[in-house]
Amino acid sequence: MSMSLDFPVDNPPTRYHPLTTQLPIKVATDAVSVRYGDKLALEDVSLEIPDRAVTACIGPSGCGKSTFLRCLNRMNDTIDTARVSGSIRIDSEEVNGRDVDPVVLRARVGMVFQKPNPFPKSIYENVAYGPRIHGLAETKAELDHIVETSLIKAGLWAEVADRLHHPGTSLSGGQQQRLVIARAIAVNPEVILMDEPCSALDPIATARIEELIDELRENYSLIIVTHSMAQAARVSQMTAFFHLGKLVEYGPTEEIFTNPLDQRTQDYITGRFG
Amino acid sequence: MSNAPTIRDAVQARLAKRHRAEQRFQFYGLAAISAAVLFLAVLLGSLIIQSVPAFTAHKLVLDVDIRPEIADPRGDASEASLRRGSYNTLIQNSLWAQFPEAGSVSEMRELFGLYSAVNAARLLNEVVNNPDVLGETIRFTLPISDDADLYLKGLTTEEEFLPGAAPLSLAPAADGGVILRSRTGAPVFDGFLDLVQARLDAALAQARRRAEQTAAQAAEELDTDTRNSLEAEAQRARDLVRALEMARSDTAPVQLNSQTASLMLRAQGGVLRISQLQQDGRSAQGDWLIGPDHASDSAETWSLWVIETPSIARRITDRQIVWARTLKERGLIRNGLNTTLFTNADSREPELAGVAGALAGSILTMIVTMLLAVPIGVGAAIYLEEFAPKNRLTDFIEVNINNLAAVPSIVFGLLGLAVFINLFGMPRSAPLVGGMVLALMTLPTVIISARAALKAVPPSIREAALGVGASRTQAVFHHVLPLAMPGILTGSIIGLAQALGETAPLLMIGMVAFIADPPTLGLSGFTEPATVMPVQIYIWSSSAERAFEARTAAAILALLTLLVSFNAVAIYLRRRFERRW
Repeated sequence: MSMSLDFPVDNPPTRYHPLTTQLPIKVATDAVSVRYGDKLALEDVSLEIPDRAVTACIGPSGCGKSTFLRCLNRMNDTIDTARVSGSIRIDSEEVNGRDVDPVVLRARVGMVFQKPNPFPKSIYENVAYGPRIHGLAETKAELDHIVETSLIKAGLWAEVADRLHHPGTSLSGGQQQRLVIARAIAVNPEVILMDEPCSALDPIATARIEELIDELRENYSLIIVTHSMAQAARVSQMTAFFHLGKLVEYGPTEEIFTNPLDQRTQDYITGRFG
Repeated sequence: MSNAPTIRDAVQARLAKRHRAEQRFQFYGLAAISAAVLFLAVLLGSLIIQSVPAFTAHKLVLDVDIRPEIADPRGDASEASLRRGSYNTLIQNSLWAQFPEAGSVSEMRELFGLYSAVNAARLLNEVVNNPDVLGETIRFTLPISDDADLYLKGLTTEEEFLPGAAPLSLAPAADGGVILRSRTGAPVFDGFLDLVQARLDAALAQARRRAEQTAAQAAEELDTDTRNSLEAEAQRARDLVRALEMARSDTAPVQLNSQTASLMLRAQGGVLRISQLQQDGRSAQGDWLIGPDHASDSAETWSLWVIETPSIARRITDRQIVWARTLKERGLIRNGLNTTLFTNADSREPELAGVAGALAGSILTMIVTMLLAVPIGVGAAIYLEEFAPKNRLTDFIEVNINNLAAVPSIVFGLLGLAVFINLFGMPRSAPLVGGMVLALMTLPTVIISARAALKAVPPSIREAALGVGASRTQAVFHHVLPLAMPGILTGSIIGLAQALGETAPLLMIGMVAFIADPPTLGLSGFTEPATVMPVQIYIWSSSAERAFEARTAAAILALLTLLVSFNAVAIYLRRRFERRW
């Protein structure tokens, strides 16, 4: 195994920082491992994610943080060679259970991807698609209402109210990403996963998305993968540091950034590797 | 920084070479494109030039007297009685009325050879549909024979019309012909005489050469059969030499026959064919092909009409030429758009042959091919691309689909013959079977192009759909398929266009056939015998009649038009779908 740094062999194994916040637990994972064919991408991850808070996953490229995120809404099912073991519970309901339909799960756990990926349809259709396939609206008026509130929550309403039927792809990158967030919250999920949502955006658009994430925290449990330590420090309440497929350290963001327990966390956040 | 100049020098040294290579490559590309455009232009140009005569046709417009005793033998105007009538006789009578001087059986056969007797069936139908015309005269339009049509289009022979130089006197000859003399004594036929003699000299020299050559070859030949055939050929050449020598003389009158150009003389409203020219150029002998409108022993004004091609070298006789031109002058033959080409099915008579049957066959066949190949092909592609597990079985299937695309098309024809016709007992020559065979041939193309189009849809779209809770089927049908549609359409239409131009597989299932009745454009048409456009082109191209030459080119243009419109639809659909996103 090649490593960028030489760690002492007697380094303590992955430790979990005790959860010190008062928030209820939304997602709990226990010994989750993911294999892509023969490759072990994620090993033995156990952590508890609070509701109505932002949890950031940080770590160098290829550390398994995106893989972990994709476990939570079973997006790994779409990869033939992926094998997930261990237990993931959302509100104490097993995600990987045989009787759980991934379609229902994904309605509860929304996802926002690294690159804005609106459907090549109108802005309205983008937001309305989820509610429509899940049958959340009975009438056109109800659907209009859902679209409007979702766009308002995503902070995009003011900009697109007069051109709802323009193609979603005609928006700027930052607007597209907010449109995608609106699309995710239109189906009224409980958890929103964001996989590096700002990596394709400029600083101003990034600031708007970060503001939005902070607002969404009041209603949802957000889990965000980010490469930017500054962003993790700004938006998250909890931070998990992954390295080489393992969870190295997990705890309140403030403590992780000011007083990491693990040497690797310390090295990473101070910019010595990664 | 001491090595910086050397790096720059090295780059500079190679720079000229790199630029030259680039220019050379651009030149190659330009040359290739120019060559391709040139070939295409030559192909299209020659096709269009060749096909022009096929788009117009001369029609004979006759006033036909529907005489009840011929049209309605039983006299009760019932359909059964009408169908026993002799309608060709009615047309013959009407045409004969124009040229009553055509008396002998052979002359009448020539006259009625100006049209095809098949046309009588149309007259019959007209009368059956409207029995009121019995006893009346109706105007009936029918296409004239292909040979007369080609002549009137100027494709059979060169012609020259010369005004008469001096008044002529006409006197009856001993053998029933007419002796023509220059009344003033000035030579009037001398120019033509020189022309005929020069031609005869050339033909004589050629015939002598041929006789000598074949005789010499025969003497050296060891194989008996070949020697016999060479000797026979030499004998034919010697016979020709003798015939030409008889015609060519500096003292005796020049005989005009089937080996020489034909000379017509128009005087007194009739047409004379000159059979003999005196050496002095002052007198000639001929006979009336079309009688004069007034008998007189002199002609003040007259004209010569030279038909350059000898009658032996053309399929239309001197008489037919004279009749055809006279009918045209009388306004009974009119030139017009050749609608027959687009309304009729195939026929042995070029003037009655059209592409409608083959076009209908092609359309029916393409409908079957499209209905089978596109849904099955796209369905297979969607399953293989979006749902199938990646394992050895699907790998095996994929390899075999790619192999099938390279299988020679005739093999699919054999398969169709063995399975669809022999095993399932489906009808021969039917668009249904043809379409099924072509669908088999097109399937790999459709599957491969549809898979490529599906693969080209960015995975982020699938993830986006799955991310909001769409099922896999919903993600595919709501988002992936619409995005892949332009590519799928393009691939499908390329496959269909390929099938449209295919002949080999149809050979096996009997669709390479002479079909005189177009299949009905309905459900029953799918099982009726039919042929398709490329087969029609092939059949016409190998026909002996010269008129099929232009029709072949016209049919090729029709097929090309069909293909281009196919592609135009493909481009339109692609643009439309692309604009929606």
